[in-house]
Amino acid sequence: MKSLRRTMAVAHKEVLHIIRDARAVYMALGLPVVMLMLFGYGISQDVGHIPMAVADQDGTPTSRRLSQALVAGGDFVRGLDLASPDDAEAALRAGRVKAVLVIPREFARDLARGVPAAAQLLVDGSDGTTATIALGDAAGILQATSSVRAVRASLSSGPRIRVRFNPTMRSTYNMVSGVIVLILAMVASLLTALTIAREWERGSMEQLFATPVLRSEIIAGKLVPYAGLGFVQTLLVITLGSFMFGVPIRGSLVTLFGCSMLFLLAMLGSGLIASVIAKSQLVAVQFALMMSYMPVAMISGFMFPIANMPRWLQALSMVVPGRYYLTTLRGLLLKGNGLDVLGRDVVALAGFATAFLAIAVWRFRRRLA
Amino acid sequence: MSVALILQSLFNVMKKEFSQTLRDRRMLATLIVSPVLQLVVFGYAIDLDVDRIPTVVCDQDRTPASRDLTQAFFADRTFLRRQDVLDPNQAQRALETGEASAALVVPRGFEPRVARADAPEVQVIVDGTDVTLAQVASNAASQFLLLHGIGGEPTGGERVPVAKGPFALPGFSGVAATASLVPRVMYNQRLKSAVYMLPGVLATLLLNVTAIVTAMGLARERETGTLEQILVTPIRPAVLLSGKCLPYILFGLIDVLAILLLGNLIFDVPFRGSLAVVALGSFLYLFSTLGIGILIATLSSSQQQAMLGAFAFMLPAMLLSGFMSPISSMPAWLRPFTLLIPMRHYIEIMRACLLKGAGLRDLAQQLVALTILGTGILGVSVMRFRKRLA
Repeated sequence: MKSLRRTMAVAHKEVLHIIRDARAVYMALGLPVVMLMLFGYGISQDVGHIPMAVADQDGTPTSRRLSQALVAGGDFVRGLDLASPDDAEAALRAGRVKAVLVIPREFARDLARGVPAAAQLLVDGSDGTTATIALGDAAGILQATSSVRAVRASLSSGPRIRVRFNPTMRSTYNMVSGVIVLILAMVASLLTALTIAREWERGSMEQLFATPVLRSEIIAGKLVPYAGLGFVQTLLVITLGSFMFGVPIRGSLVTLFGCSMLFLLAMLGSGLIASVIAKSQLVAVQFALMMSYMPVAMISGFMFPIANMPRWLQALSMVVPGRYYLTTLRGLLLKGNGLDVLGRDVVALAGFATAFLAIAVWRFRRRLA
Repeated sequence: MSVALILQSLFNVMKKEFSQTLRDRRMLATLIVSPVLQLVVFGYAIDLDVDRIPTVVCDQDRTPASRDLTQAFFADRTFLRRQDVLDPNQAQRALETGEASAALVVPRGFEPRVARADAPEVQVIVDGTDVTLAQVASNAASQFLLLHGIGGEPTGGERVPVAKGPFALPGFSGVAATASLVPRVMYNQRLKSAVYMLPGVLATLLLNVTAIVTAMGLARERETGTLEQILVTPIRPAVLLSGKCLPYILFGLIDVLAILLLGNLIFDVPFRGSLAVVALGSFLYLFSTLGIGILIATLSSSQQQAMLGAFAFMLPAMLLSGFMSPISSMPAWLRPFTLLIPMRHYIEIMRACLLKGAGLRDLAQQLVALTILGTGILGVSVMRFRKRLA
């Protein structure tokens, strides 16, 4: 009972800290909204408007039809016309265009004669995302308008390949779930990273120790207000995600918020660890970034598929809580999975939350000796 | 104050900043070790080239023909045979649990239909929650099925990239001869992700090291009041600021050098351009990031605010820089704003310099933009800094 009262006293003090720095609260809540908007509206892996130069040496109706097909059917924008293929290299290097279509002389004549004719599409590989998609688009456009369609039509109808859970393969769905993980990881760990380091920096920690408050109570008291703030954030991003971007919530809401809370605790815990280890706020922030934000961004499977990574990195990703939260989030939002499927991930999240908080308390204790 | 005196005080401030930084082992780790370490560890993660997609096979036919088909499906290693099940419901479940990302279902009666030259019913189911993977998987599957005369295209997946080879020309489908479009990827022939992602990672790490560290460092000096103490000495504010910033430019340049070296050794990132252009670009970029750090410091009254402010700038900047998604695919109204982001120009410079071997003339536009942004941001922030202290 006494312990609870002491914890609440620390929590109360922390709440006062938070409220007095109202600008920080606005930023902590505004940042996720801005991120979500940018990711949802501005950022898209669905590439369009790829600037393309055309070096048409043939200059016949046939060759024009080829370049027009690329512009009309896909995401290419005709940037400039080149007199000679020799200029292609310079245009690509200066970055004025991302692709160059080179149609050789006699292209139409060869075709008319029945001789295979080849045009060339040069693609700038230094921007890999654009390059991959440019190649695919070019292939798709030409394939769609050609003989392939005839082959398909002769076969019996009905879909043979089905994309499940996200049938249109919208990158927004993918992004939004990833961004939720990223935002929670970042804000939760960064905010707590400052709290304990700040007390050390200002020398108020000694004052706290002069009171009967226990170390674990300090940690718990610091945790409570930020967990509340984090919960508001979770609510905010999930609501915005589903209203603004139409991301479905197919699973149970209770499970969703339960899992989010566990993940939040794990991230708050890792922020506290950073705060306890580092001497200053500046270093604590960098520790927290390295321990929570970067792993979530890089090896949780958000941007880069885990299956592609070398084995040792895959093993390392097993200790990144974001990985399990991403799985549960995608499962809950898009697949409508229940606890029967997600049980393992939920247990992992709970394990990380407990372990991180325990480590924070333990390291905190050691520093006092 | 004479020039000699100014230089002397500049040198003194720098010395103080250096010894303060070097004394704290953790600070040094933050500035040099951690960016390099992060690049090496996470560099291995940067791989968007999807292969070995875990796949579950449900072969209900169990005939030599169906076995041939399933074996051929895994031949090019795009798919990885994870498990075999008999019940299609089990295959569905494997997708739900995430054990597999794709399922190949060969129904009963496959062989007789092949024998009759009737179109056999084979189904590939792809998990669409991971879009990159889904696009590659459905594309590879549709090519495979097309090749084996089974046909089909993914329902709903409007755009399925990655296909190379001959294309038939529109309007000539009836003619025996075909025109082909030969694709050729320049500068990064194998489209290795690490090669084109490195400049973006570098820009992010530099922004982190310089902008956040300066913003929080200055905010701390304000919190503890040491800034005011130094200002009662005859040192001018501008000299004080440059003395504080120059060491970080040096640390930043060390990071650039270390990261480029390791990127080249470990991830085969080429270095085709001139070192001078890279150095000039990095210097200008660091100028602007430091300016941003100082600007944020003048806008905040605590380290917490400085930290959040730095992130409020950094995250949108990262997203809009073209680091992860191409600028050309952003909505038209958003694209002009990306010109205001130093990262965008720096990434363009680095990509062009490292991969394309571009020179000073090719990159003049970006370098000028960086110069304007750098001096502009730094000028405004120094003015604000002086006003706050006056």
